[in-house]
Formats: sequence, structure tokens, C-alpha cells
Amino acid sequence: MISLPGLKHNTGKTLMTHAVLLTYTVIALFPILVIIVNAFKSRKAIFKDPLALPSLDSFSLAGFEQVLGRADFGLYFGNSMIVTLISLFFVLLFGAMAAWALTEYKFRGNLFLAVLIAMGIMIPIRLGTVSILNLMASLDLVNTLTALVLVYIAQGLPLAVFILSEFIRQVPKELKEAARCDNVSEYKIFFTIILPLIRPAMATVAVFTMIPIWNDLWFPLILAPGESTQTITLGVQQFIGQYVTDWNAVLSSLTLAIVPVLVLYVIFSRQLIRGLTSGAVK
Amino acid sequence: MSQPSSIQRRFPWHILFFLAPGLLIYVTFSVYPLLDTLWLGLFQEDETGQRFFAGISNYKTLLLDAAWSEPFWNALWNNTKFFLIHMLVQNPIGLFLAALLSSPRLRLSNTYRTLIFMPTMLSVVIIGFVWQLLLSPIWGISEGFLYSIGLGQYFDAWLGKESSALITLALISVWQFVGIPMMLIYAAMLSIPDDLIDASVVDGSSAWQTFWHVKLPLILPTIGMVSILTFVANFNAFELIYAVKGALAGPNFSTDIMGTLFYRTFFGFQLQSGSITMGAAVATLMFLIILVGVMLYLFVVQRRMKRFQL
Amino acid sequence: MADVKLSNIKKSYGDTPVLHGIDLDIKHGEFVVLVGASGCGKSTLLRLIAGLEDISSGELHIGDQQVNALAPAQRGIAMVFQSYALYPHMTVFKNMSYGLKIAGKGKDFIDAKVREAARILHIDHLLERLPRELSGGQRQRVAIGRAIVRDPNVFLFDEPLSNLDAALRVKTRVEIGKLHKELGATIIYVTHDQVEAMTLGDKIVVMNQGRVEQCGSPLELYQHPATRFVGGFIGSPKMNFIDGKVAALGGDHIEIQLSNGCRSRACVEAGDLKVGDPVTLGVRPEHIDERSDAGTMLSGDVTLVERLGEASFIYLTLSDGTEIVVRGSGESTVTTSEHIKVSFAPHNAHVFDSNDRALRRLKAGNVHSTAELAQLKAVGQEAF
Repeated sequence: MISLPGLKHNTGKTLMTHAVLLTYTVIALFPILVIIVNAFKSRKAIFKDPLALPSLDSFSLAGFEQVLGRADFGLYFGNSMIVTLISLFFVLLFGAMAAWALTEYKFRGNLFLAVLIAMGIMIPIRLGTVSILNLMASLDLVNTLTALVLVYIAQGLPLAVFILSEFIRQVPKELKEAARCDNVSEYKIFFTIILPLIRPAMATVAVFTMIPIWNDLWFPLILAPGESTQTITLGVQQFIGQYVTDWNAVLSSLTLAIVPVLVLYVIFSRQLIRGLTSGAVK
Repeated sequence: MSQPSSIQRRFPWHILFFLAPGLLIYVTFSVYPLLDTLWLGLFQEDETGQRFFAGISNYKTLLLDAAWSEPFWNALWNNTKFFLIHMLVQNPIGLFLAALLSSPRLRLSNTYRTLIFMPTMLSVVIIGFVWQLLLSPIWGISEGFLYSIGLGQYFDAWLGKESSALITLALISVWQFVGIPMMLIYAAMLSIPDDLIDASVVDGSSAWQTFWHVKLPLILPTIGMVSILTFVANFNAFELIYAVKGALAGPNFSTDIMGTLFYRTFFGFQLQSGSITMGAAVATLMFLIILVGVMLYLFVVQRRMKRFQL
Repeated sequence: MADVKLSNIKKSYGDTPVLHGIDLDIKHGEFVVLVGASGCGKSTLLRLIAGLEDISSGELHIGDQQVNALAPAQRGIAMVFQSYALYPHMTVFKNMSYGLKIAGKGKDFIDAKVREAARILHIDHLLERLPRELSGGQRQRVAIGRAIVRDPNVFLFDEPLSNLDAALRVKTRVEIGKLHKELGATIIYVTHDQVEAMTLGDKIVVMNQGRVEQCGSPLELYQHPATRFVGGFIGSPKMNFIDGKVAALGGDHIEIQLSNGCRSRACVEAGDLKVGDPVTLGVRPEHIDERSDAGTMLSGDVTLVERLGEASFIYLTLSDGTEIVVRGSGESTVTTSEHIKVSFAPHNAHVFDSNDRALRRLKAGNVHSTAELAQLKAVGQEAF
């Protein structure tokens, strides 16, 4: 005999759980889907039946044509890519180096520097914007991508150092001691032993570093608002501000900003979520 | 660490090599600007643009002069409401979803997590526009939706009304970021050993009692951390309001928060020209607010909520 | 009274069966040990009894009630977990009283119960501490205390000693044995350690790959292992196995041609074995004598001698490459790479057929009590 009451009870509970999670999933996705779907419809169809999928009749790429004609989305996208990737590279490299120095070597001022960097996790760099703009102006870096890269490296470093330190501490002492016994230089120990070992942590840091940079509006708006240096976030914001009544164009530009991120997210979501739930951030 | 004494006596060039690049950039573009901002807040500029030391007079103006203090207190109060809505809506929903996701042997758990987290990945600016369109009375998609479930009469231009704009914006932000508390709390729940849950089931507790008496106390440190992250993010928020309502944070400043006030003070807006020193003063006050929150967390909250060795 | 009765209990996860129909009768007050290698299903079986997992099919009775669908707390059981599973945020007192509090018992009642259990376990002075302030042994006691306060009919122990160091393990083992006598409750105890099983159990259930290989008293399992698996599992060092073929069938014994060329006699019932059938001969290290030359003779090269003081384990490689272990005397003078001869008596031989099932032993088969066994051993030794 099968324990029917027990099973039934569990099945009911499981169904409820799925119902609630499914409902919330719909709430999370529906708004985004509505935007994307309507970007492929004619103006009339957008207003007549916003929830319908594009049909043969209502299908239209007019919005995309307008957007691509009026604004240089390719350039914005490229700017965002350059800024994000270069910042990411240096955050990882300099972050790992600093984390190694702070955890491995005892020297005067070690604790002070560690605290100074830890402060950066909690205190937003944005609060220094006034001086950053002054500084960039005196370095003649306003309206350059370099300005953004420098600020984003400074912004990403504290968390990177924090997470990577945790991992470097877990590297077995014996590995380093064995290398030192073989007279391997400190530089070689770091680049050939430590760096490869902390690669998984690098993935976590990459996620935490990349998303805020890609999505940032504040610094592009203040440091690099020029037409040639606009990032995708700023570009979309400016474009929509200009053509707010052109629904096709607005929907299409939003779709152009959303879809690449979603595609990347779907590809890397596994690593990303593992990074988020790895417990590296305490 | 333990190094041959010959190396210790020489200047440790390798430490400098590892530390210098990161530290140089961090100090130049983060620490120095922040300190400089705190310093700048103590200056004023005359008509010719000449800067002179003015002590705390900027702060006096900001906190006591009605023309300045009214917007300031308004922004601070709005920001507090913005934060409280996150605490009362976002984090409980995140906790609830995390609790559901961590049910044992739940199928599709990964898929739900991935999809619910999706909006968090998108830019706040994009999300702001998305909801502006969805809630627009011109498009009428929300109105139509509400009518279809019989709640049509409750529809209103929420984003346009003084009474509801801030709450609506806060809820949009909650909608976008609920994935973060969900993930962090979910991870904390996963780290609770199964044996502990089994033990409490054998002890006779219901699912709810297990949650209340066993799981919740064990994830309190994570909830504390989520709260301080929410606090810092909220008092640093800007993009959503700016994207949806512009720098003027209308209607009638009802959605003005510290971030937008800072932006306007610094860059100026229609009637008033921007002021570097006044902007620095606002930034300094934001810094102090965040600092007080973080200190409170570090020395009061975190110290009480010991991490339990699991 | 709380007998526990399992009838054809099956469990599968999806399409993967993990338990293939377990039948078991446990009498009130019995100490039953489920033993087997990791992954054999013993812990799963315990969790089914506890109600932590649903039974796929079959019936579970505790007392005279069918409990398949009952929640763990309604089954009258208490469980001690391998990791102890103490609530890290509650004091020892709260840990022990949690179940009673959930059950809505009065404050005075709870207080009395917890203090009584604490007294039995000598942890009265620890009641206000948190688990992390306790040593491993103390945590173990608290875990047991948490079970005791609930006055269960059946105690379930899931490898409770595996997180303790060797010395503490022996001590706690003895204490659990005493506790069983003191409480008089039914205990179902899971372990992978055959010594724990032999020393604690009134009845031992040897499990392998989701099935019960054999169920019986410790001595029964030792003397009459029903399968080759049980023969190898119970006893340390392991029983030696030598392949062979049936050479001749006698009235009270069979003759086996061993793979190393020797011919051995074994006092077992032949059953339906025929001459020429492949069999495996099993003989325990402690039943092989390094000096005597009576019974079956084996010769081989010594590859290693482990000297334990009271005995020496002599590792031999026979001419066909089969490796065996002999428990020699502590004073043995045998050294590595020596070629020696050892022997065992026919009544100490076990024989397993090609399906790994044991043939009924005739001589030791009638021995049931320890006294009788000792007597037999003495007689045997005199004979050689």
C-alpha cells in the first residue's frame, strides 16, 4: 500500500509552491516581454492591442529603422563594451595583485590600507563626483572613455580586493613555501601559482564588477556626455528623452538595450548565479 | 610572512609592485575625491568664481535657510520613505521567494531563480522607461490589464500624481531588485545543514515553525547584510528618478531624493545655477547619512547577530 | 510496547530503486544495528522509519499502528543525527526542550524532563551553553538528551559516533550500551563500523545494495554468514577467500580442490552441489594457525608482518597469487619473505557457492552460546 495521505499532502504543497513561483516569474518577465513584443509592431497595432503578438499585418520594423537612422547605437554599444571590458580587466588584475600583497606580506600600514579599501565597499564613489569632475577637467580627460575607465577601476577595486583576499587566504601555505624553497621569485609565485588558482573567484568578481559598469548612467552623464563617447545606457536615455512621443522608436531603442544583455545573461546565468550564491560575499 | 632575512632587509620592491597600481588608482579617483569633497563643502565662491573658506556656513544654509532646507528635508524624508518601502516590500518578498526556492527537491528551482533575477541585470534607466510606458495612460496597457481582472476603476496615472509617484517609483525599484535579497537569502538558506531541518521535523515542528524557530534565526545575519546593502543603495539612488521624472523629480519635487537633489545642486537646473561647493556640501551630508547607517550596522546590528557556526 | 515491523518496504528516487523490499521484525527493547558499506541504503531505511522520507511501497508498523502516513513527531520516535544537528542559536536547555515546547507541554514539565535527561547524561552543568561552546563528546550527549526528553518508543541513531575521535568513540559506545539497558527502549542504530555493530547490537542487520543480506545475533553472523558479503564484512581482518572447485562430496563434509593446488576439507552440507562446481572457500585469519600442521595446509611467501603486540597479522601470497592474512601469535618469529606453511581445521572453513550463498556449516553450526564457542576453541587448539 502506498501512503496516499502523505503523498497527497506533499503534492498539494509542491503545486502551491510552483504556482506562487510561476506567478512571480510572470510578474518579473511580463513587462520586459511586452516591450520587446511591441517593438516589432506597427504604431497602430501597438495601441490597438498591446498584448497581441505581432502578426503578418501588424509586423513592422519601422522603429528599428528610425532608431538606427537617428542615433549611432553601434557606437554606443562599442563604447560600453570598451569601457566595461577594459575596466574589468584592470579591476581583476590590480585587484588580485593588491589582494595578494595585503594578505601575503606583513608590512607597516597593512591594516590601514586594508581598512581604507574595505571602506570603499560601503561608501559609494559617487559622493566624490564634484572633485572627480574637477580632477578629470584638470587632467583634460572630460569626454573621454579613459575618464570612465579610471573611475570604474576605482569603483570596482574594493569589492574585488575583498572577495579575492578571502580566496587567496584559502590557498595552502605549502604551495607557496614549496615554491620559495625552489627559489621562485615572488612575481612568479603570484602570476603562475596564485592567479590560476583563484580563477573561480575571478568569475564572481567579474560579475559584480561588470553589471554596475554596464548599467551606469551617472558617470557617463557627468564625465562623458559627448556624442562620440556616449555609452549605451546614456545613449538610450538621451534618445528617449528626445523622441519620447515616437512610440515605435522608443520601444525599439529599449529593445536594443535589453536584448543583448538578456542574451548574455542567459548564456552566463549559470556562472553568474553560482557566483552570487557561492558565499564569497559575506 | 616567513621570508629569508636577506630579503626582509632589502626594500620590499615586490610589495610595492603588487600594491601600487591598484592603490594609486583607488586613492586618486576614489579616496582623494571623497576627502576633497568633504573639504570643498567648507568653501564658498563669490561672483567672480573666487573660492574662499567659509566654515560651516554652507551647512547652515542647507539645514536652516528655508529656500535650501525645505528641499533638503523633503529629499531626505522622501529618501527615507523610498528606503522603508524597500525594507517592507522588497526584502520580505525576497525572503519569501528564497524560502520557496529552497524547498527540498523542488524541480525547476534553477529556472525560477534565473528568470526572477533577470530584471536585476538590466539598467535602472531602461527599467524606468519600461515602466513609464507600461503605466502610461496614453498607451493604456496597465489600465486594460486591470479592467480585464476587474480592477479597472483603480487605475490612475500613478507616476503623475504627487501622492503616488514616489511609492510607484519605489515599487518599480522593488520589482527590479527583489532578485538580490532573494539570491543572498537563498544562499544563506542552502548553507543551513539538512540535518538541522530534519531534526526540527522530528521534534515535531511544522514547516512554518521550522522556518520561524530554526531557519530565520540562522539567516538573520544575511538579512542584516541585505538591509545595509539596501540602505546604501537607496540613499545613493538617482538613475530611476532621473530617467522617469528628470532632474526636477516632479511632480512638485514629490519624488526628489538625495541623489537628485545632489545632481541639481551641483549642476543647477532651470532657475538656479549649479554650485560646486554647495554640491559638495550635499554630498558630504549624504556621506554622513550613509556612514551613520554603516556604523550602526557594523557596531550594533552585526555585533548582536553573531554568525552561528553551522 | 513498541515493536517495529517492516513489511516489504521499498524506496525509489524517481526511477532509481534504492531499497528493494525490506522485511524486518524488531521486538520491543531490542538494540538493532543496521550495518553496511556506504550507499547500501541503511541510512535511507532509517529515514523512512523516522518519517523524514516517504515510503514508496510496503508497510511500516510501530507498535500496533501503521505509520506510513504519519508525521515523524507522531510516530513516537526520536533521532540522533551523525552531525548531532544541534540548533546553533539555542542553548543546550533550549535544544533539549524545543520538541516539548512545540508539543505544547507546560513549563514545569519541560523543566523537569530536561533536568532529568541532563542528569542521566551528566550534562547538568552545560544547560546554559551554546553548542559551539561544547566539545564533540558533549554535543553528542546533548543530541542524545534531546532524544531522551521526548520519551520515545524507538530511538533512531544515524552513525552517531563517526564524528568522535577514536578514544571517545569507544567510551561513548560503552555508554550508549549502558543507556540502552537503563532506558529499556527500542534502538535502531545505523553504522558502517562492524565493531560497533558487533559490540552494541542484540541483532545485526547487514545490508548491501538496498537489500538485507542477513539478519541475526552478532555470533550468528560471525559463525554462520549467509553470504560471502557478510562473511567478508563481519570480522577484522577480513575473512580470507580462496577459489576452488568441488572435488568430492562426503557425508559430513566436502572436499575442495583449491586454486593454489591444495585440497581442503570443509565441514558443510553439500546441498545440491555437484563435483566440479566452482566454490569459494572462506576462512578467518584467526582460524588459521601459523604453527600447526593439522587440517588443510597452505604455503606461501610472507609479504608483510604487522605486529600488534597481542597478535601478529601475517600477510601471505599463495603459489597462485591469492593473498591471505593469518592472525599469528604476538610472539611469532616469522619474518618477511620467509616461506611458511599454515593450516586451518575443516570445521572452521566456510564455503560459498557460485551465487555467493553460504553452505550450512555442520560443526560450528550447533554452537550458539559464547561459552560453547570458547569450549570448542579450546578443544580445537588442543587437537592441533
